[in-house]
Amino acid sequence: MSLRAVARKDFHDTVRSRGMVALVGLFSLLVALFAYVVRPQGAAGQFATELLLSAFVGPVLVTGLVPLVGVVVGYNAVSGERESGSLKLLLSLPHSRADVVFGKVLGRSAALVLAVFAGFLLPATVLVATPVPFNAGSFLGYTVFAAVLGAVFVSIAVGCSAALATRQRALIAGIGIYVAFVLLWGFFTGRVLGAFQGPIETLPVTVSSVRSFLDVANPTTGVEVLANGFLADQLFTGDAVDRQVSAVSMLVFWALAPPLAGLWAFDRADL
Amino acid sequence: MTAIELRGVRKEFPGVTAVRDLDLTVETGEVYGFLGPNGAGKSTTIDVVLDLVRPTAGTVRVLGRDPATESVAIRRDTGVLPDGFSVYGRLSGRRHVQFAADSKAVDADVDAVLERVGLADAADRAAGDYSKGMRQRLALAMALVGEPDLLILDEPSAGLDPAGVVRMREIVTAEAERGATVFFSSHVLGQVEAVCDRVGILRAGELVAEDSIEGLRETVGDEATLEVTVDVVTDAVQTAVSGVEGVSHVSAADATLTVNCAPAQKTAVIDAVEAAGARVEDFHTREASLEDLFLAYTEGETPGSGPDASATTAGSPEVSE
Repeated sequence: MSLRAVARKDFHDTVRSRGMVALVGLFSLLVALFAYVVRPQGAAGQFATELLLSAFVGPVLVTGLVPLVGVVVGYNAVSGERESGSLKLLLSLPHSRADVVFGKVLGRSAALVLAVFAGFLLPATVLVATPVPFNAGSFLGYTVFAAVLGAVFVSIAVGCSAALATRQRALIAGIGIYVAFVLLWGFFTGRVLGAFQGPIETLPVTVSSVRSFLDVANPTTGVEVLANGFLADQLFTGDAVDRQVSAVSMLVFWALAPPLAGLWAFDRADL
Repeated sequence: MTAIELRGVRKEFPGVTAVRDLDLTVETGEVYGFLGPNGAGKSTTIDVVLDLVRPTAGTVRVLGRDPATESVAIRRDTGVLPDGFSVYGRLSGRRHVQFAADSKAVDADVDAVLERVGLADAADRAAGDYSKGMRQRLALAMALVGEPDLLILDEPSAGLDPAGVVRMREIVTAEAERGATVFFSSHVLGQVEAVCDRVGILRAGELVAEDSIEGLRETVGDEATLEVTVDVVTDAVQTAVSGVEGVSHVSAADATLTVNCAPAQKTAVIDAVEAAGARVEDFHTREASLEDLFLAYTEGETPGSGPDASATTAGSPEVSE
């Protein structure tokens, strides 16, 4: 009850922010732009939905922009309220600190999911309305994966926000998360593998299987693997099942572990 | 049962001890005024009661429960108007109060509560557009939701206009009549005098006085202090003044007589001085007030020494006649 009250309050608060409208507009604009780029040439052309998704929407919007938006939506969830003093109002009411952290994960994830759906699907309705053949099922499914990825990054950012006392520190942590996962993950994991090559070879695993696991341990790659499986009609079937299962479990891990770690610190703090 | 019970509570922050060895008892159903200057540790004490801050030492019971383990249950039966809070700028006043009702899982008449604090007309406006006083009323409305057993109001009059202060006082009185315990802090004695059954005065993290308003009045006494400057102080003058009915003490230093007497006898004292042959050049009276006592406790060098502390206080208001 308390968790739902916090989540609902935070959802209402977040969707009323000006950034939400800007976000939906930006998503719509980019999807529309990419759709224009891959538009069918000539009379008999088929609309390349899969090309639109895996070559344009995927790399730019989903793995590039959505994590950033998740961080922006989440980073000041707790630290911002702590700094402004609205946390005092919140904790005057019968909410546990766990309700606050997880209520915020839920409320802000819901707001971001709404923004992703609105931003992706508004331009898609135009495609559905035109006589051009358009694979609406693939597009809708892909949007779900984008929303999941956004929600995972909201969780990670809210976790940092709960652990840190000021908005500024949470922002720095949020930027760090983005850089680590989106820009530097391959570099880091490459270095780690290089350094531990010897010890890994003594274990009953191969270096390439460890590399494969480290790749999908990154939520952006994990979602990419799952989305590509979905587009190829091979989700949880075919050769890549192991990777896909690893990807799902790592996404669950990233959705839960950071808020729990943040709560651990938040629970001990004097506010 | 006691509503709030603190035993030996101490709270140290890095480099500063905000509260030291505080014993405090608030009985069920009473209105307790928690007084002290800014920075005395009032808000820290309230934060300890609400489990926003964990005490370094000591035990705390609120509504018979331990805040460290049952804070949510305590807050379910408590309404809080915090100090230094901010509102959710994008949400309306009505949504704030509805959120409080949802959080406490009660069916509250949101409009009635907003009407009660005087925010009915602004209920649908975003709280970010509210003035300081309106935000204060909004937080009070949230505190009142669900008829709490205990109301904790931290500096409730901050930012309120005079009409708002009167309304706040009426609400506190009405809540106490309903049977709620009210614990509120203030740095202004005038705000607690009219409504409190008992007051505690906190200074530099320590409780330096705790009594009923009547008890404090008795400590102050109802005597006035009269300082009379004359051309020359003679024994005859002193004897004459001592003989005036209602005079309890006379002392002389240089050309000034200091006389403790009943307030109604001031004219008689002046008459007696002149009748004894001295010429009155100037005189002042000092009414010992609760304000004096409060200032003595909170600013004086040696708190807790009673009326003498009040008489020697540097900042006492002097009334020139």
